[in-house]
Amino acid sequence: MKNLMEHMGVEPGRLQFSWISSAESTKFVDVVTKVTESVKALGPNTNYVKKSAAKV
Amino acid sequence: MKVIKIDKNTWAGGIDSLRSGYRLFGPVMQGDAHDYKELTSDETPDLAYTNTRLSPKSVVFPQSEPMFTYSLDESDPEHHLLKDAPKDYSPRAVIGMRPCDAKALALVRMNFDTEEYRDPFWMNSYEATTFVGLACDNPCETCFCTSAGCGPYHEEGLDVLLSDCGDAYVAKALTEKGETFLAAAGWAAEGDASVFEPKKAEAEAKITCKVDSSNLRDKSSLALYDAPFWKELSFACINCGTCTYTCPTCWCFDIQDENKGNEGVRMRNWDSCMTSLFTLHGSGHNPRDQKHQRFRQRFMHKLKYFVDKYDKGLMCVGCGRCVQQCPANIDIRSICNKMNGYEAAS
Amino acid sequence: MESYIGKIREISERLLNDGTVECVVGFRKGTVALTNEPCMITNANDAEALVWDENCRLNLANYITGRKEKIAIIAKGCDSRNIVNHIIENKISREQLVIIGVPCKGMVDKNNPEQLQANCATCTHRNPVIYDELCADLVEEQKDVDRYEDVRKVEAMDTQEKWAFFEDLLSGCTRCYACKNACPLCYCPTCFVDESQPQWVGKGTDPIDIRTYHFLRAYHCSGRCTDCGACEAACPQNIKMRNFTKKLEKDCFDLYGWEAGLTVDQRPPLDSFKLDDPEKFIM
Repeated sequence: MKNLMEHMGVEPGRLQFSWISSAESTKFVDVVTKVTESVKALGPNTNYVKKSAAKV
Repeated sequence: MKVIKIDKNTWAGGIDSLRSGYRLFGPVMQGDAHDYKELTSDETPDLAYTNTRLSPKSVVFPQSEPMFTYSLDESDPEHHLLKDAPKDYSPRAVIGMRPCDAKALALVRMNFDTEEYRDPFWMNSYEATTFVGLACDNPCETCFCTSAGCGPYHEEGLDVLLSDCGDAYVAKALTEKGETFLAAAGWAAEGDASVFEPKKAEAEAKITCKVDSSNLRDKSSLALYDAPFWKELSFACINCGTCTYTCPTCWCFDIQDENKGNEGVRMRNWDSCMTSLFTLHGSGHNPRDQKHQRFRQRFMHKLKYFVDKYDKGLMCVGCGRCVQQCPANIDIRSICNKMNGYEAAS
Repeated sequence: MESYIGKIREISERLLNDGTVECVVGFRKGTVALTNEPCMITNANDAEALVWDENCRLNLANYITGRKEKIAIIAKGCDSRNIVNHIIENKISREQLVIIGVPCKGMVDKNNPEQLQANCATCTHRNPVIYDELCADLVEEQKDVDRYEDVRKVEAMDTQEKWAFFEDLLSGCTRCYACKNACPLCYCPTCFVDESQPQWVGKGTDPIDIRTYHFLRAYHCSGRCTDCGACEAACPQNIKMRNFTKKLEKDCFDLYGWEAGLTVDQRPPLDSFKLDDPEKFIM
C-alpha cells in the first residue's frame, strides 16, 4: 500500500506504518511525535486533495 | 433559410470571430482518439475525424454535474439553505457534430422536456447551444444510421448542416439560431443548395450495414420479454457502463451527495442500467440483480419500450459506438435483428 | 494458433456428448474486426461455433465465478492462473472444472494488430499451469524478458513527476468500470465504489476520485493479479491502468518471491504470515 501510494506520487513520509501494542505507551508517544514532525516537514498536502465538487 | 459557402481559408478566421459570442466545443484529438471538449483560444475543431469516442451529449449533459450546494455550519448565515450551484448558460456552439448525435439529442429531449416536468439543467444547456453539424461523406462500417431513422445528411436536431466540398464547406442554415451563428462568424457568401441531395444519396449508399426493426412495434412486449434467447445473448456481457456512457441517446443519471466537513454538494452523475445496483431499492430488494435481466432491460428499452411509448422509432441513431467499444462484442445490430425476427412459440 | 481450433472443437464436442460437462465456455467469432465474443455452449452441435485466434483477449475465468455446474473452460496461461486463484479463494471448485489448456503465443494489441498486446509481449507463463486436456503442444516460455521496465521508469521519477504521470494516464477515464468488470478478481457483491453508506469514493469524474478508484482497485488485486491484460483490453478509452498493478506485482515478487496463481497448494502472501516477511516499511 505504502509503495503504491508513493509510486503514484504521494510524498514518501505521508503514509507510515507502525506496530504498537497498548502496553507500549512510550513507543506510541515517540512514533506519533516522529510522524507528526515528518508530515509537518512535508507541508500541507496539495496533490491528493479533492476540491469541492461544486467548484469543478 | 440561407445556404452559405465557407471557403476553407476563411474557416479559422470565422471560428475566431465566434469566440467572443460563443463558448466553442468541438472534436479534438486527445491521445489516440477524438473527443469533444471546450476549445481553448488557439484550438479549432478537428473536422478530419470519422466519429468521436464519446458523444457530444456531455456538452449539454455533463457526466458529473453539481446541482446545489449546502452548508451545515451554523455560523454561516446561509446555513441549511440549498443554493444553486454556479452555472454558465451563456451561448455556446458545438461545431462539427454528426447528424446521428444531433438527432440523438432531439430524442433525449423528449425525456427531459415533457408536459409534467422540464429538467432545468438539461434544458437550459440545450437551449443555450447552437448545433453545427458536419455531414458524413464516409460512414464507417459499424454505422447503421439509415436503419435507425437517421442518416449521414439528416437534419433533425441541427441548427446548421455543413457539407465538406473540397476547398469549401457548404452550410445550410436550418434554424434562426443557425443563421445567427453563421452571421456571427462573418460567413456570408452565397452557397449552392443543390450539392446536398446528390451527396446525401452517395453517402447513404455507402452504408452497408442494415438492421431490420420494422416488426418491433407489432410484437408483444411480454413475448419479447419472455423470449428464451436473453440468457444466451447476455453471456458475454460484463455489465460495465461502456455502451451507456458512449451512447448519445442514453440519459440515466444517479444523484449522490458529497460532503466534506460541514459543506456539501449534490451531484448528478451518469448512471448505467447495466450496473448491478442500478435498480437496488431502499428496501434492499433488487428486481434486476441478475445480468440477463439488466441486459434484456437495456435492449427492450432501446428497441421496444421507447418505440411503443413515443412512436418515433428506435431509441438508437445507429452511430455504432457501442458496437465498436463493447469489450465483449455485444452487438445491438444482431440483437435487434433477433428481436425483430422473433416468433413466440404458440 | 488457428490449428488449435480443430482440437478445441473436438474436445468440447466430446465432453458435451459424453456428459462430462454441462457447458463449455469459450469464444465465438466476433461481429467487429479484431474482436471475439465470449460464449457458453451447452449443445455438442454448437462446438463448431467455437474459435480461437489472437483476439481472444478477455479472461474467461471472469465468467465462471460462483457458478455451480460442471464446466469446461478454454484457458490460456494467464486464464489458468486466474482459475487457480478462484480455487484458492473458493469461487469455484476444482472438481467442477475440465480445463482445456491453450499454450498461448500472445494476443495482438487491439489498436495495433501488428504487435502483441503489452502484457503478452513480456509474458513468462504462456503455458497453462493447470489443465485436464491440452489443445496443442506446450510452447517455449519466454526467457530474459524484463517485465518491469515500465515500472522502473516511473520509480525513477521524483514525486511531482510521478503525480503528473498518473494524472495524465487517467485523464480519459469515464468510470465505466469495464476494467473492473472484465477482471476475474473483481467479484465482490458490492464493490467499494458502489458503497454509499459511507461513500468511500465519489462517483463522479473528479480526478482525485478517479485516481482513488484505480489505486484502490489495484491494491485489492495485489498478490492476485496475473497480468492477463483484460482490464486494458476492455477499456474503451485505452487507459493503461496496468501501471498500478505492475508495481504491486513487482513488489510482491521482490518482497515475497510470489507470483500469483501458479499452484493451488500455497496461500498468497497477503493471506498468510511468515516470520521472515520483510518489515522495512514498519517504523
